[in-house]
Amino acid sequence: MAGADPIIRIRNVSKFFGQLRALDNVSLDILSGEKVVIIGPSGSGKSTLLRTINQLETIDAGSIAVDGQDLTDQAADINKIRMELGMVFQSFNLFHHKTVLHNLTLAPIKLKKIAKEDAEKIAIRLLEKVGIAEKRNCYPAQLSGGQQQRVAIARALAMNPKIMLFDEPTSALDPEMIGEVLDVMVNLAKEGMTMVVVTHEMGFAREVGDRVVFMDEGKIIETGSPEHFFQNPEHPRLRKFLEQIL
Amino acid sequence: MSENKVTIDIGDGAAIPTKKDRGLLSAWRLAFFGAVGSLLYLILFHPDPYLRLIKFLPDGILITFQVTISAIALALVVGLFTGLGRISHNPIINLIASTYVEVVRGIPLLVQLFYIYYALGQFVRVPDMLAAVIAMSFCYGAYMGEVFRAGIESIDRGQREASFSLGFNRAQTMFYVILPQALRTILPPVGNEFIALLKDTSLVSILAVSDLLRRGREFASESFLYFETYTMVAIIYLIITLILSKLVGIMEERMGNHGRR
Ligand SMILES: Nc1ncnc2c1ncn2[C@@H]1O[C@H](COP(=O)(O)OP(=O)(O)O)[C@@H](O)[C@H]1O
Ligand SMILES: [Mg+2]
Repeated sequence: MAGADPIIRIRNVSKFFGQLRALDNVSLDILSGEKVVIIGPSGSGKSTLLRTINQLETIDAGSIAVDGQDLTDQAADINKIRMELGMVFQSFNLFHHKTVLHNLTLAPIKLKKIAKEDAEKIAIRLLEKVGIAEKRNCYPAQLSGGQQQRVAIARALAMNPKIMLFDEPTSALDPEMIGEVLDVMVNLAKEGMTMVVVTHEMGFAREVGDRVVFMDEGKIIETGSPEHFFQNPEHPRLRKFLEQIL
Repeated sequence: MSENKVTIDIGDGAAIPTKKDRGLLSAWRLAFFGAVGSLLYLILFHPDPYLRLIKFLPDGILITFQVTISAIALALVVGLFTGLGRISHNPIINLIASTYVEVVRGIPLLVQLFYIYYALGQFVRVPDMLAAVIAMSFCYGAYMGEVFRAGIESIDRGQREASFSLGFNRAQTMFYVILPQALRTILPPVGNEFIALLKDTSLVSILAVSDLLRRGREFASESFLYFETYTMVAIIYLIITLILSKLVGIMEERMGNHGRR
């Protein structure tokens, strides 16, 4: 991947919520296949940054390009670009009125015009991969949080995205369920998926992160390899954050 | 997880008896069996005039049902678009929908009925029945619009975001994700509106539509039996609305729970 163009290119992005500057001149390049972990205290803008990448939040300044397409370009088809970007939310957000299987097949059938039988085959394979195929006819409300989140990951993967965005995927889970979700994410990382992960799971950051990004007050304060991060953090605020969390 | 079920309370229909509300359930039983009992008693022991009445009125019941069902169907369509208009980001569409709701809610139904009936009559010759249906659905469409709006707004915004993140556009998101879920919350108040509308169709008797009430008036003015006639009419309305409210209650309990309790 040396010398390759970044698959996500974030340049001087700022975002305001009223007076509040949620993102303050943020720049970040992410290469294809790279795993970037974003950490930082609550309210530091991690979610906002992640959500600008698939335009769930619009930006007020700067530019973002995904796979060579400029999101700020009027002509850009955001719905097309979003198909390349799988997203996993803290609160799962499975479609409550659809079974597990239909959560996975809805978008491929309607958006990619994949035949129902084919979409279901793909869906079942993905459900097997996240270890939950036996629940395919259940509704989300019948599953535990960990199971729902694994289904949510499979649902995103069903669109065959190039990039996966995770916004604190384990923060809403009971402790005993965190492992099963992280396992799925580790496997995905091993397969070479490009991943941007907001998390407080430092073990995960260490194990799969190519790069860790520390944010505070809407800014990227420090970027580096996990080893650098956890062995000799430079910025005092990062040190303080790591002391609190470890 | 936000699994809390939202209920929309638009309190202008009949009370819906469910298993949870014991008091209401026994009240329903008392009213229903009381009404049916009185009906049977009157027909059996005072066949004159009640047996004659019960033979005379069914034509009107049929018309009442026809007006109700056509008006509710049309009102649902109007309501869907009004509800979508009310949450639209397009300021013009939003203004039109909101103004419609405000105007309709500010004018008594009977005045609207007269107005639309005669205003329509100025330009086109429409059958009385059709004019009545249009007028009723124009009015109820506004209320239905508020039901749709509340139902749509009750859906957690995470559902919308998940849909967008998969690549669905706004319309697809509304159609595939939001509306099917909103229907769960919308169904009970729609049932309520249905019952309210059925009762309000009695107003169309003034517009030369031979509904239940008008049939009663026709009978009374020929026989001069006003008390007996309106007793019968009232009992029949009561039995119909009680049955409908029971059906709505059952529907509400049985409605697709999607694995939730
Ligand atoms: N929709 C919103 N409206 C107003 N303020 C928001 C909104 N979303 C986030 N914020 C604010 O922006 C800041 C950054 O939020 P967020 O990106 O969610 O932080 P993090 O994910 O790091 O906890 C916070 O101060 C938060 O309160
Ligand atoms: Mg967050």
